[in-house]
Amino acid sequence: MQAHRTSIALVDLTKTYPGAAVPSVDRVSVSVTAGRVFALLGANGAGKTTIIKMICGLVIPSSGTIRIDGQDLQRDRRRAIARMGVVLEGTRNLYWRLTAWENLRYFGRLRGWWGRRLDARAEMLLRDLALWDRRHQAVRQFSRGMQQQVAIAAAVIADPSIVILDEPTLGLDADATRRVRRWIAAMTRDHGKTVILTTHQLDMAQALSDDVAILSRGRLVACRPMHELLEMSRIGAYRIRVKGALPAGAGDALDGWQAADADGDTVLTGHVRADGALYGVLDELRRRRAPLIEVAPAEPDLEDVYLRLVHADPVAIG
Amino acid sequence: MFRLHLVVLVNEIHKGLLHVWRYRVNFAAQLAMFAGLFVGIGFLMGRGRMDAAALPGMLVGFVVWYYAFMAILNMSTSLATEAQTGTLEQTYISPARPAWIFTGRALATVVSTTLMGGVMAGVLVLIFGLRLTVGLAALPVFGLTLAGVFGFGFMIGGATLAFKRVEAVGNLVQNMLLFMNGTLLPVDHFPNWMAAISNTLPTTRGISALRAIVIDRQPLSRLWDDGTLAALAIHSALYLFAGWLTFTWCERYARRHGTLGHY
Repeated sequence: MQAHRTSIALVDLTKTYPGAAVPSVDRVSVSVTAGRVFALLGANGAGKTTIIKMICGLVIPSSGTIRIDGQDLQRDRRRAIARMGVVLEGTRNLYWRLTAWENLRYFGRLRGWWGRRLDARAEMLLRDLALWDRRHQAVRQFSRGMQQQVAIAAAVIADPSIVILDEPTLGLDADATRRVRRWIAAMTRDHGKTVILTTHQLDMAQALSDDVAILSRGRLVACRPMHELLEMSRIGAYRIRVKGALPAGAGDALDGWQAADADGDTVLTGHVRADGALYGVLDELRRRRAPLIEVAPAEPDLEDVYLRLVHADPVAIG
Repeated sequence: MFRLHLVVLVNEIHKGLLHVWRYRVNFAAQLAMFAGLFVGIGFLMGRGRMDAAALPGMLVGFVVWYYAFMAILNMSTSLATEAQTGTLEQTYISPARPAWIFTGRALATVVSTTLMGGVMAGVLVLIFGLRLTVGLAALPVFGLTLAGVFGFGFMIGGATLAFKRVEAVGNLVQNMLLFMNGTLLPVDHFPNWMAAISNTLPTTRGISALRAIVIDRQPLSRLWDDGTLAALAIHSALYLFAGWLTFTWCERYARRHGTLGHY
């Protein structure tokens, strides 16, 4: 069995900006396992970006500690930072007047790489992005999606073990979003990197993340492996779609199920509390000759869980 | 570690030159504007004509002022633009010490300003047939003057990091320097109170010492003997030290307030 190594450990991390009445981040403790995608979710102002910036050393915490691969960030910032590549939210992160090639080489040198090793890495990344032929074009001439991909490439130019992506798909179209998603998935799957991801696209977070932390007003309300969080929220619900209206009398036999019209068909939603109960419902529908179209689990997805947690009183469940 | 910081220094100079090349039209227009400003001021100072005797001394002061102008510009407007575009925060996500990165940027400004200022001064020398002898003796004096200029630039840079919109202050200082640091008129023509203020500015002593070497052909040893060089060295070292302290304090202030990337 593979041992789980902690890549980033936040212990009682707190940030109260000078002059603010309440902390932006309030005693957050989180462990990020190496080689996994960790989603940091929360509404605007929940404290995600402040946490990201504290991890990068751009904001000084009021209290608490940050350890990167065991190194205390405050004590050995240089070595901790050398392990990171970061794309920050809502900014260009690149010099638009410089070409993609020049940007990658600039940020590579800034992070301690140079010479042939840097050039080979920049070439590999640009070929990977299918931008090699346009490497001598100024970044400002690229589409928004291409610019964001170059920004991510610049973040990983020095092959960091930790990649922090703050809203990496903000403002991107569907194609560009898909490419960025593939890249993020490949980072952990093929290259073993630890990825911290913040996003408002919860479907993306659910698809990509191994672990998830949910913040509300600076406090951690959940921190679990994704599958555990979803499993905890399972309610044993199913959705059954039958063609047309329900046959007469069928409703009486479906106690506790809700029926709704959907484009002329009927969608039944209900909870199955005992093993085999679903078969009983299906048998009943067959007996009444209700034409079955679909039977599917109707479990809450990450969005449902997220909304329930942030709208409930902030009680930690993880 | 030393090699990393050397790479970072060269990296910043390289990027600075790339930017000059990418913005070459803007820089060419800027050079034309500065050359025009010099001609205009020379015309006014000569009361309607270009005074050939006064122009070389004025050009020495004007070139130093141009360096100060660019140092302040790069540490205020450019830094604010970088905060806006997110490249400033990326700069801080580096294993290199920010001190080295910003020293690299200052050197990049020196290199690009020397290229552009050299072109501007060369054109003005040719147009007006000025006779200037810039020997090696001018180099240490010029170096000391630049140290003070960039110390002052770091103060403005620090204020930009901490308090953001300080371009207006930068513009004010740029213009004040032109009129008060002896560029247009030697400081000994100023009333005492104005000369006292002028001598505290980062460029005044440097301009005076450079004029002594380039225009009056005085040897470096004489400037050393009469204490001019020592005073300039102390003055510039104080500016550099104060600039560094201010920059470091403001950087920490910005990181505590979370405003490093704000604009």
